[in-house]
Amino acid sequence: MIPYSAAIQIRSERSRSTQRWIIPFWLAGILLLPVALLLLPLVLLVCAIARINPFPLLGAFWKIFVALKGTTVDVQDQHHFVSVQIS
Amino acid sequence: MNENRRQILEMLAAGKITADEAERLISAIESEPPAPAGVKPKPKYIRVVVDDNKKGTGTKANIRVPMQLLRSGVKLAALIPLQARDHVNSALHDHGVAFDLSQINPKNLEELIDQLDELTVDVDDKDVKVRVFCE
Repeated sequence: MIPYSAAIQIRSERSRSTQRWIIPFWLAGILLLPVALLLLPLVLLVCAIARINPFPLLGAFWKIFVALKGTTVDVQDQHHFVSVQIS
Repeated sequence: MNENRRQILEMLAAGKITADEAERLISAIESEPPAPAGVKPKPKYIRVVVDDNKKGTGTKANIRVPMQLLRSGVKLAALIPLQARDHVNSALHDHGVAFDLSQINPKNLEELIDQLDELTVDVDDKDVKVRVFCE
């Protein structure tokens, strides 16, 4: 199962404000697609120079992306709380 | 049919035990408590919990990483180009770490990650508490 969204929450004790974003990956994917297409020739060139097969490389990154589902990072200090949850 | 019941019926068929003895043995088997429900489920996440008790900071971190991410991440080592691998190996050797990256294979990595389920690290300092465990 691929992750479908990242929830980011930032709370500030000083300003007593909480900001929360839910970023769907399909939207991020659409927005980043032009950048990815622009970078693709560069990636292929680097792979050719380094003699790396690009397909296992892309497969490995895809597996890492899929495995991100369920990741949680919560960090809190005296004044701030930051939470990132991938689901 | 379970194995014990089959053995009892075979002994009965072979005439080694009487029908009464077979009945007693079967009822004894049925009254046994059920075996534990399989093996312990494998942990899915590795957790890192940091609690800084130092006065004035109150820093806390709670990180949960899926085991699958470790599996995928370590497989990237297999994609390191040969030239870079030689550089890394020599750098490791210079720092006293006699380790060869080319020795890493997926089977070893799987075994290593499978053994992590027993892992628990507790660091209890005056100011900081760190816990690393699997769940």
